[in-house]
Amino acid sequence: MKKTTLSRHIIRNVLLFCIALFLVTFSVYYYFTRNTIRETTRENAIFLANNTVNRIEQVLTPAEKIPEIVAKMLESAFLSKDSLIPFLKSMLSINKNVYGSIIAYEPDYFPEQGMYFAPYVCRQGDTIHSVVLGDKNYEYFYMDWYQIPKMTNAPYWSEPYFDEGGGNVLMTTYSVPFYTYKDGKRTFSGIVTVDISLEWLTEIMSQVKILNTGYAFLLSRNGVIITHPNKDYVMNQTIFTIAKENNQPAMRETGRNMIQGKSNFESAGFRSKWKAGKLWINYAALPSSHWSIGVIYPDDEMFASLHKINIILLILILVGLSMLSFVIYKIVNKLTSPLKHFAASARLIAAGNFNVHLPEIKTEDEMKELHNSFSFMQKELGDYIVTLKDTTTAKEKIESELRIAKEIQMSMIPHIFPPFPDLPQIDVFAVLKSAKEVGGDLYDFFVIDGNKFCFAIGDVSGKGVPASLFMAVTRTLVRSISDKESSPSVIVGTLNKSISLNNESSMFVTFFLGVLDLSNGELKYTNAGHNPPVIIKKNKEAVMFDKTKFIPVGLFEDFDYGQSSIQLEPGDKIFLYTDGVSEAENSESELFGDGTIMDIIGRNVTAPPRELIHKMEEGISAHVNGFAQSDDITMMTIVYNG
Amino acid sequence: MKTFTFKAVILLFLLFSPTYVHAQLPKITFAPQWLPQAQFAGYYVAQEKGFYKEAGIEVEIVHPSANIQATALLSSGKADLISLFLITGMSAKNQGLDIVNIAQISQHSAILFVTKKFSGIDKLGKLDGKKIGIWKSGFDEVPKALMKEKSLNVEWVPILSTVNLFMMDGIDAMTVMWYNEYNNIINCGVNEDELNVFPVAEYGYDIPEDGLYCLKSTYEKRKPELLKFLEATLKGWDYAAANKTIAIDMVLERMKQAHIPANRVHQEWMLDKVLEMIMISDKKTKRGELLESDFLKAAGILDNSTKSKWKYTFAEFYKPLDR
Repeated sequence: MKKTTLSRHIIRNVLLFCIALFLVTFSVYYYFTRNTIRETTRENAIFLANNTVNRIEQVLTPAEKIPEIVAKMLESAFLSKDSLIPFLKSMLSINKNVYGSIIAYEPDYFPEQGMYFAPYVCRQGDTIHSVVLGDKNYEYFYMDWYQIPKMTNAPYWSEPYFDEGGGNVLMTTYSVPFYTYKDGKRTFSGIVTVDISLEWLTEIMSQVKILNTGYAFLLSRNGVIITHPNKDYVMNQTIFTIAKENNQPAMRETGRNMIQGKSNFESAGFRSKWKAGKLWINYAALPSSHWSIGVIYPDDEMFASLHKINIILLILILVGLSMLSFVIYKIVNKLTSPLKHFAASARLIAAGNFNVHLPEIKTEDEMKELHNSFSFMQKELGDYIVTLKDTTTAKEKIESELRIAKEIQMSMIPHIFPPFPDLPQIDVFAVLKSAKEVGGDLYDFFVIDGNKFCFAIGDVSGKGVPASLFMAVTRTLVRSISDKESSPSVIVGTLNKSISLNNESSMFVTFFLGVLDLSNGELKYTNAGHNPPVIIKKNKEAVMFDKTKFIPVGLFEDFDYGQSSIQLEPGDKIFLYTDGVSEAENSESELFGDGTIMDIIGRNVTAPPRELIHKMEEGISAHVNGFAQSDDITMMTIVYNG
Repeated sequence: MKTFTFKAVILLFLLFSPTYVHAQLPKITFAPQWLPQAQFAGYYVAQEKGFYKEAGIEVEIVHPSANIQATALLSSGKADLISLFLITGMSAKNQGLDIVNIAQISQHSAILFVTKKFSGIDKLGKLDGKKIGIWKSGFDEVPKALMKEKSLNVEWVPILSTVNLFMMDGIDAMTVMWYNEYNNIINCGVNEDELNVFPVAEYGYDIPEDGLYCLKSTYEKRKPELLKFLEATLKGWDYAAANKTIAIDMVLERMKQAHIPANRVHQEWMLDKVLEMIMISDKKTKRGELLESDFLKAAGILDNSTKSKWKYTFAEFYKPLDR
């Protein structure tokens, strides 16, 4: 694992929190500021559009009045046919915005004039020129400026057009139908128009400055581009053809809204080839001509100030976070520096140096508490170690004494083999392996009256020193009793009486005692609650003695022990053992068992005593497989040679 | 010095020789029936890609104006060959202009009536008693014949060139060309789904339109050259169909030269639709041929719509070049 420091950990967590906090704050700020800017821009845009609309209307609206008044005059028959041209001339001379004007009559209105009669005056340089229009090549009845107001019975602002006669100037015509009374009926009689040059319009529109690169454009009622910074669009394209050419359906929709006279400020759903990036558009209609003015706001410029503030804010925050990290690092380091010392001290203490110097803490905080705990621990550990030393010394002393006790115990049982070199009738071998330093098992053998071989094996309840002392007592009693008695039942009974008396600790011993008559091979024995030994008939099967009916020695003073006898043939062997053999456990708590004992004996029926016991030891060792010995292990083998 | 003179002579020869060769090519002056637009893209392409020169003829394209029609150019000798609607050509012949049809380029009718959906006119029959705009300059025989056949009493309002009267709802319906005025309406912001259309072809009046005409005398004298013109023209149309952008560029250039407002989107639409008209589709004829059945149908229309009866046989009117 990568090593980290507390300060780094704290800085990371604090920074994450601060960044999250910043993001939330920034988003809210950004959202509201953006809305505010959009709202402000919207207000400005509407103001700008209205302002521009008004400037245009200041020319168009008064221009509308002229033909409307003329139409009224014609209807009221104020004007005679001959006064029309002088009237139009004088009208033109006082209306500088009007480029030309016509009064066009219906066919054959004046029979003497024939089919066509359309007095027309127009400016040519500084002079005002007049002509009567209308002939086969100029059938004005079919022209939009005439036909549309006639058919719709309403004044009409024409689509803008380039006037080829007047120096290719962009023009528009306002036409008003007029009516006269014929046979008392108000009848459509013709059209009065004024032609307005739109040069000033381009001028007004180009004066509209929006941000850095925003611009304004003007659409006719049909969506034709009347003014646009891109001159190629003007009068060649409609907003709808541009939309199709650039595959921008949203532009078509905006265009439709515009020519329908709607007004709005909105995020443009389209992109423009003319101005890259996201755009906003404000559009508004001209009340007179129903043309529509569009004002384009580049999004990036609209929010430029916001973006600038964002960058400054971001830098400030980055600097702030760096400084915060530095301060946290310093504070945490100062607070936690004693911890390093404590850690070092703890290591030294663990190594046994209880008097190590602890860091000095001047504050009265958690660090001071830690210091106090440490110093308390130091003192307690010191005390404990002193106690431990004393205990250990005492324990060592006991252990040494136990070792000596063991030596004494072992010296009490016979351990020289063969024990009776001058008695060829028998051979004996025995082992005793204590589980603890001193054990409760015992074995013994000796010769009575020169021809009787007495042997015994026993297991004292409990373990350790008490058991070994009990065992020593038992052994001594057996020896002293058998000085006068050679009957196993008497020996065991006397032993039981002696032990049961004053047996306040309620200890007992399982005991097997046999007396073999060397002259005839008769074996008399008493088994007081001990594991039944095994008799191995020479070169024949091995069998266990019957289970005893007698209780262990030391329990009831007056228990009456009996005895049994069998006849041994030369070569017969007896194998005796304690429960340490049959109950030897391995790590899986499996017992060695009587069956295994019998197997090993079965495989070694001919083996001499020493070899048989070694084989048994190997078997136990293989079974326990290094698992700690829990009980004394005692085995004895006697062979009767006859 | 001597070497220099020699080189100069060679150079001069090289410079003037093509002109010299051109001067030898027979020249045909062709006038389409209207101002430059994609309707005539095949001719412009054939000229600019040199198909006419390859065929061994020199072609000059002149356009009529609002005042001087193509037929006038033909009769005055300012054009050798003109393009006319079938019915216009037949009408002109009936009125005494001794012309013959040498090829029928367009095989279908592009004429349709258009109404605004809100007017409620969604069946041809509902046009009865309505005002319908129609070109003042002609092409009116077929729509008028259709209305007469259907016994619909309509008020025809002659219109010079714009769709403005229709846009301003001064009329209830308008006669338009599928490749031209119809798209003008769309380009004025009216959506297709806001319009009802009634193509005359759907009412049995699929009368072919653009064809090539010359004076009978010209046909008799210059047959091989006319054939070359026709073949190179069809090649021009093939090229235009395969290279629309290049063809449109050529059309727009012509329009600019003629000081006509030029709009790429509209010309693209026009080229697409005109190419559809040239397609033979299910007709049992080959490209450039006039079917006698179409001729007879057109003659029937003329008989019904004009006072003078149609006077010529198919063979007298149509002089196919032996292709």
